[in-house]
Amino acid sequence: MQAIEVQNLTKQYGDLVALDKVSFSVETGEIFGYLGPNGAGKTTTIRVLTGITMPTGGTVRIFGRDIVTDTIRARRQMGIVYETSNVYDDLSAWQNMMFAGELYNVSRRDREQRGKELLEVFGLWERRSGRVHGFSKGMKRRLTLAMGLINDPQLIFLDEPTSGLDVQSNLIIREVLHDLTGRGVTVFLTTHNIEEANITCDRVAIINKGRIAAIDSPERLKKTIQSVQSVEVAFEKAGTEALADLRALPMVSEARKEGDKVRLYTEDPATLLEEIMAYAETHHNRVVSATTLGPTLEDVFIRLTGLEKQVRGGEAGE
Amino acid sequence: MSDDTGADQLQAEARAAWAIAKKDITIYYLKPNIIVSGLLFPLFMFLAFASGKNVPLGLVIPGLISVTLLFSSSTIEPVSIPLERRTKTFERLISAPVSLHAIVFGESLSGFIYSMGIALVPLIFGLIVFGTAIPNPAELTAGMLLTALCFSTMGTLFAAYPTESPGDIMSMINLVRLPLIFVSGTFIPLDAMPPIGTWISYLSPLTYGNDLIQGAYGHPSFFNPFLDIVMLLFFFIIFQFVAHRLYTKFNE
Repeated sequence: MQAIEVQNLTKQYGDLVALDKVSFSVETGEIFGYLGPNGAGKTTTIRVLTGITMPTGGTVRIFGRDIVTDTIRARRQMGIVYETSNVYDDLSAWQNMMFAGELYNVSRRDREQRGKELLEVFGLWERRSGRVHGFSKGMKRRLTLAMGLINDPQLIFLDEPTSGLDVQSNLIIREVLHDLTGRGVTVFLTTHNIEEANITCDRVAIINKGRIAAIDSPERLKKTIQSVQSVEVAFEKAGTEALADLRALPMVSEARKEGDKVRLYTEDPATLLEEIMAYAETHHNRVVSATTLGPTLEDVFIRLTGLEKQVRGGEAGE
Repeated sequence: MSDDTGADQLQAEARAAWAIAKKDITIYYLKPNIIVSGLLFPLFMFLAFASGKNVPLGLVIPGLISVTLLFSSSTIEPVSIPLERRTKTFERLISAPVSLHAIVFGESLSGFIYSMGIALVPLIFGLIVFGTAIPNPAELTAGMLLTALCFSTMGTLFAAYPTESPGDIMSMINLVRLPLIFVSGTFIPLDAMPPIGTWISYLSPLTYGNDLIQGAYGHPSFFNPFLDIVMLLFFFIIFQFVAHRLYTKFNE
């Protein structure tokens, strides 16, 4: 059975079309990434998929249950972890966990047992009695995730789960994600961290202006834009002058400075490497390192969402 | 996947409503703005009015109970819900596997319990200090319970307005609460009002709650107690459904 099945999902706010006939499905046990620039429709999608907002058109089924007509039963299968760590600051971690369990009708015995296990997994058991008010950002995030798992969901929505977190929290959350998928839990993940999606997700959907621009595995998406290869080169002397000269080469489609390196986009990396070496020799500017790179998921994202000019145009030559 | 019965779901809804009420009780009952709006404000306002009327204080106890119920029951949600919108914890409630009715009822329940506790203060004070008799305790119980239920639901209804500032809701609800005191027979008896005032009083739930409580203390009643009860239930149901409608609308 498919965990999520979305068909022709449309959401309008007056004249604004937030979602325009969006269709996709997520298999049980899959980690599905949902990427898009701000305002693309990610939050609206999650709100509709979790039954908070009613769609204007189309259907959403969660494990076969229609989210509009069978909202409550559909929600029982879910855990939801919001982008904001929405925990009650005036309650203790334990009280937060128990409250979440009660909202999801988890029996007292189960919520106490599960609450203890989850707080231990997330490294919060020792702090269970203290008010959450004194918790760090990472601890609150971990508690939010623990609360989202109190009902042992078969599907979990994670909205930017690791955004801006410390290393320890990041590691714990990634480990939990790994464990969840090992147990066959379906994960719907929105993230701005494209590398996170690349290494975590089985498939990703890229949404832009309320429409799905692409859905596939990260590797297959990268193959669709093989033309976006690049050479990253570091010169002995600062690369600003080199950037201007190399950008003028006919095989270079785009050039930008990245730290102490210059990144040059091309369809012909072999010829470009020869040109770089020739440039280094004539300008007495030795090449410290040169790396040929394939397209990243970020390249795919930028290409499909039309952010190319904004992002690269803004950075090029800086 | 469980295919539970209606009774199971009803039980789940009741548990969730109680969990919401417990959470509000733990977090909000001792917040300073709740104490000021729900306890001190009605007390001082009523004492200021009563001292100008030159009547024995024991006689004003029923009116004081009515006004206390009005203010204390409708104070929790206008504070808690905007604050929870600000911290995004309200999202947690509206995405839980329970109906909006259970959420509205759970939120109202905390105001209801709070006001019942607060209203016991003038009640016990009247009994101990002034020896005020309560010839009909059943009417008093019904009057207090239904008035508290009605106005706590009204508080939840006003809190549906999508703001993150409690002050916005308080300003709006005071535009309704303050006039209600003057048109509901708490300060001025209904039979002493001009005809237009009497007609307006029919639209106020506090009229029926206060009438029931006054009757319980042996003071003259304006309506039949059964009519008071029916009207309070009617207003409660209206508030509950309007609140449900508004939360649905504003969640969009």
